[in-house]
Amino acid sequence: MELKTAKLQPKIQAKKSRKLSLKHKRNILRWSVSYTLLTLLAVVTIMPFLWTVSTSLKGQNETIFSYPPNFIPENITFENFVTVWNTLNLPLYLWNSVVLSFWGVILPLFFCSLAAFPLARMNFKGKNVVFMTILATMMIPGEVTMIPVYLTISKLGLIGTYSGVILPGIVSAFAIFLMRQAFISIPKELDESAIIDGANAWQIWWHILLPMVKPMLATLAILKFIGAWNNFLWPLLILEDSNMYPLTVGLYELKGTFVSNTRLVAAGALIALIPILIVFIAFQSYFIKSAYSSAVKG
Amino acid sequence: MYKARTAWLFLIPTGVLLLTFSIIPAITALGLSFTNYNVFQPIEWVGVENFSRAFSDDDFWTALWNTFYYWILVTPALIVFPVFLAILVNQQLMGIKVYRLIFYFPALVSVVVTAILWTWMFKDDGLFNAALQAIGINPIDWLTDKFTAMPSLAIVTIWQGLGYYMLFYLAGLQSVSKDLYEAAELDGAGFWAKHFYITFPSLKPIIFFVTVISTMSAFKEFTLMLTMTAGGPIGSTTTLVYMIFEKAFTDLEMGYASAVSTILFVIILILTLINKRALDTTQ
Repeated sequence: MELKTAKLQPKIQAKKSRKLSLKHKRNILRWSVSYTLLTLLAVVTIMPFLWTVSTSLKGQNETIFSYPPNFIPENITFENFVTVWNTLNLPLYLWNSVVLSFWGVILPLFFCSLAAFPLARMNFKGKNVVFMTILATMMIPGEVTMIPVYLTISKLGLIGTYSGVILPGIVSAFAIFLMRQAFISIPKELDESAIIDGANAWQIWWHILLPMVKPMLATLAILKFIGAWNNFLWPLLILEDSNMYPLTVGLYELKGTFVSNTRLVAAGALIALIPILIVFIAFQSYFIKSAYSSAVKG
Repeated sequence: MYKARTAWLFLIPTGVLLLTFSIIPAITALGLSFTNYNVFQPIEWVGVENFSRAFSDDDFWTALWNTFYYWILVTPALIVFPVFLAILVNQQLMGIKVYRLIFYFPALVSVVVTAILWTWMFKDDGLFNAALQAIGINPIDWLTDKFTAMPSLAIVTIWQGLGYYMLFYLAGLQSVSKDLYEAAELDGAGFWAKHFYITFPSLKPIIFFVTVISTMSAFKEFTLMLTMTAGGPIGSTTTLVYMIFEKAFTDLEMGYASAVSTILFVIILILTLINKRALDTTQ
């Protein structure tokens, strides 16, 4: 084996040096092709956003739809944002979205990591059956159970309440699965020594284990936040009072009523986008992580 | 170490929620399929009447066709294009992270905002038609013509899904050993050979994952239709779930709608099994 590689070595080196200048040229070509493609695709991707930003900054006298399209407003104005903020219930919608998103993050995190704890760290009869049942519910699409869930919420008298919007989305098999994976990777000795020190299961879960799975909790929190902030169907189905609408449903109504005033709708849409954009930029690395944990490990 | 009772105490709250909002509703949906439940009248067992009604209902067949049509437009594109996008952003280039973020961002935009943004792109005097006009093609009624409405929605879905699935592939690519590529380069392998023999085979589990996820979401999509086309024009974007939604919450025919959702469930189940079979045989 050693002999072989020793014989090959000079050959490889010769090949390498001959290729060096060629390689340099090829790299420059590769970079320019890559950057051109990347930039082109990026522009196409953000085109709808650019157009919306441009529209929201145009004044009442400026045309929105023109040929050729005009991306840079002649007079930049923020009056659309002020108008949409003052005349519509936008601050209220925004607050409602915050409330719904808060519970839509906290409750799933709490309940899913609660159930994941025994599934990851305890031995009891029926554990596998329970775990398999939970995983099997991943096969049930929410759209298929939409009607019975609605009827259940109606029976519980929760139509028109935030509880009715939040409750169906608290538990997800996927979140339990992710939390279980995180708990499993912690050494078992930790629980044993804690029990010897007199801690009970609740204390071990709350004080020892949960702080150790913070990265996974953060990943889940972000996923849940995006889901809750963008939740549209359940608030639309459950809520009756328009003063309780979150931003998504509010915008949906806005799209209907202000169909003639494109500038205002554009400003409203951008206001809805800003929180997502902030969370995304602040926690970008967690998004990569969440994709990794669901596709590669799962 | 722990008592079994402790384990169950931790499981009960979540278990109750799971039973109430997932397991029991799934069984109820199946049960309701065999009734004429319509909110006003007392519930009555009607056997397979709802199913035979569905199979002789033109609206059902149209919705089924529309669902498959949307799936065919969307899923192959979302399996293939993101692979190349991932290869593109997996290079060591300056500012590549910014590009990744830009491509991924559309996945986070709510369906309502997406609908607002894209309705304008597709307007008769919108950006798409302006581009067509520039190259001398007559404008198209993107969302209001029954032939172009569904492809238009597919464009929106692909726009939103490209970066999302790219991230899965990217995660997969980063776990492929770099030595493999270097060895292949020494052997004189070009771009296509390298990816054909190394990238695609090692991405196989992720390709399967993306196939399943994008198929599932294609079959369940309807909020885009609700917000952009309202199922029209002339029912050309009414998918199965949209039909379920309308029958249940507009017409209040809960029994019939449940039967359609049972059929949908069976379709999704069969597709998943086929997918799984396909993966098992290729491995």
